[in-house]
Amino acid sequence: MTPGAPIVVDGVSKRYETPTGSVPAVDAVSLTVRPREFVSLLGPSGCGKSTLLGMIGGLVRPDAGRILIDGSPISGPTPTKVALVFQDPGLFPWRTALDNVGFGLELLGVPAARRREIALGLLGPMGLKGFEARYPRELSGGMRQRVAIARALALNTPILLMDEPFGALDEQTRLLMGEWLVEVRRRTERTIVFVTHSLHEAIALSDRIAVMTARPGRIKDVVEVPLPYPRALDGPDAVALHAKLWAKIREESLRAMEGTA
Amino acid sequence: MDRLRLLTWQALSVAALVLAWEAAVRWRVVDPLFVPAPSAVLGALRATGGDALPRLADTLLKTLVGYALAVGVGVPVGLVLGSRPMAHAVVMPFLVALYGIPKILVLPWIALIFGIGLSTAALSATVFAIFPVVVLVAAGTRDVDPTLVTVAASMGAGRWQITRKVLLPAVLPSVLTAMRVAMVFALLGALIAEMLAGNRGMGFQMQRMALAFRAPELFAATVIVSVVSIAVVLFLEHLNRRLGRWR
Amino acid sequence: MKVWLWRAALLLVALAAWEISARMLNPMLYVGPSRLPAALGRVLATRDLPPLPGHLWLTLVEIAVAYALAIAGGLWVGFVLGLKQTVGRVYEPLLSTLYAVPSVIWYPSLMLFLGLGPASKIAFGFLLGFFPLTLAVLAGIRQVPATLITVAVSMGAGQWTVFRKVMLPAMVSTLAGGLRTGLALSVVGVLVGELLGARAGLGYVINYAYGLMMTAEYAALVVLVAVAVLLLDGAAALAEQRVKTWTG
Repeated sequence: MTPGAPIVVDGVSKRYETPTGSVPAVDAVSLTVRPREFVSLLGPSGCGKSTLLGMIGGLVRPDAGRILIDGSPISGPTPTKVALVFQDPGLFPWRTALDNVGFGLELLGVPAARRREIALGLLGPMGLKGFEARYPRELSGGMRQRVAIARALALNTPILLMDEPFGALDEQTRLLMGEWLVEVRRRTERTIVFVTHSLHEAIALSDRIAVMTARPGRIKDVVEVPLPYPRALDGPDAVALHAKLWAKIREESLRAMEGTA
Repeated sequence: MDRLRLLTWQALSVAALVLAWEAAVRWRVVDPLFVPAPSAVLGALRATGGDALPRLADTLLKTLVGYALAVGVGVPVGLVLGSRPMAHAVVMPFLVALYGIPKILVLPWIALIFGIGLSTAALSATVFAIFPVVVLVAAGTRDVDPTLVTVAASMGAGRWQITRKVLLPAVLPSVLTAMRVAMVFALLGALIAEMLAGNRGMGFQMQRMALAFRAPELFAATVIVSVVSIAVVLFLEHLNRRLGRWR
Repeated sequence: MKVWLWRAALLLVALAAWEISARMLNPMLYVGPSRLPAALGRVLATRDLPPLPGHLWLTLVEIAVAYALAIAGGLWVGFVLGLKQTVGRVYEPLLSTLYAVPSVIWYPSLMLFLGLGPASKIAFGFLLGFFPLTLAVLAGIRQVPATLITVAVSMGAGQWTVFRKVMLPAMVSTLAGGLRTGLALSVVGVLVGELLGARAGLGYVINYAYGLMMTAEYAALVVLVAVAVLLLDGAAALAEQRVKTWTG
């Protein structure tokens, strides 16, 4: 396992041009993610957290500021350092689960036998043993998302970026996937940046939570979560943290609601 | 109603229709000069069956040449139009307009230039088949899920890799559908050309039999073309299903 | 804005290419757009060709009758197949199979049976226009959201009321699409019929011109018919849009 690499986001801004004018999505955001840390970006809808993640992943160019991955500035997708998982699993419907997981490796020219080996090694512990030859349409939502995560893990990058990966799943599946992600994280020691709008999810999974303001997105506060894993969300520490986070986020959520109303 | 009962009902309905038809002709309810009895059609099939084969082959040859041209030109054009939003927006209204014009109108002119024979019929088949191909392939290309492209880009795929490993497989179902639809149109084009300006082939034969009031032979030819057409379409649909197991 | 500019440019380039290539090639076979207006004038004035207005009128009448029959037949069959589940399941596959057959093969039989007069053209126009209408009715019935029917039934509506007050309004935009396609195909059917074997009508006149190698006049007629068909479909499209905005 590659130990996680640090991420430095330095004064990054992004505006989007719309027919009605220019809209600021992210405004002068600075954030440091330490190696092997799990940081959640928490904020209301439209606060720019997905845009920020896109910039770290090299898919979106910042208008100002720079981003350093493992000490060097990035200028585009860096598949050797950063892997992404989106809310839509984005599995290629014409490829089996196994071939989907091997996609990134295929792009890098890894030979077929090795790809198969790596993919099987990832799918097995995810509870997908026996489903390798299935097509995405034969898999449930939770299974598809696990395959998508396996596909990202296959690149063996030090950094994993996840944009509300469990957002489309029902509550029970979401909770189970969260537990499973904690397990995966424990075993792989990657740096993870996780976008969510769920306080519960952020508290259950992260070492630190970066709370973002409503549009234009800025970092309002960064909260430490010094709780040991596995976390009991009904314990007194967790409950106090939840209240503290909600206090910070509530006014941002209201502003976001009014802004879009 | 399960499949067996369904098929039985369908078969019985068709059989009843054929029997009623036979009876109607026997009892002179309809004039056998215009509407031949099924038995007469069968007789004509047996008698002309041998000659029908080369005629059918002729028509099918024209169809296939026109089809190959329509697909060979239409699919790439559709892919290009579908992947460039600006080109698509500019060109589409013209394509839709051209598609809406009855294509038979230009056939006399094509016949004037290329004469009566293979070229005209094959070109006619192309003209009829190319529009649905372009429209369907362009639509399929536009419908490719953008998330898939984003995923590939995030993994460092270059432009060519994205085209080869994401766009082409994603577009394949639309291309296959277009190819299936194009076949019927190509056959239509070839037959119309044969009827309008031909000297061989099933279309010409049917036209000739109609003008000569030889009803049994005409109906026999019609039956042959129908059966072949249905068989081809069923085969293409079967191919479509087998190649698209993942959908 | 940019799109319109590009479209205009494309149109101009196409017309220019057409004109230039036509001038370079045999004028007996290739007619550039500049020759068309004069040719159209000649068509109307000349004695070499049958008088246009009478034939045009005949064609329009044939289209109207064919379309009316297609609507009547298509709607009736569509509703029978769509509303009577068992009947539909037996006969719809048979109908779909017929759809796989190139429609033009029925025309020689129609010519034999009905002769070269308007009857065979009307019959063929009816045959072509009938399918899209039937399919539109079937599709329209299928896309009525089941919840709407459940709501009505739960409020005590009987079968006929459900049909009248729920299904029909919910089907209207699909039907509008079918009516538009049916019109286009009825027009094509009549024109094809006239071109393949007729003694009168617009298609007959076009064939006549082509037979006399009056290429310019033939081209003018073709452009005229093409423009007319496009305008007709454009009008139908507008009507379809109107229906869609009314019913949502």
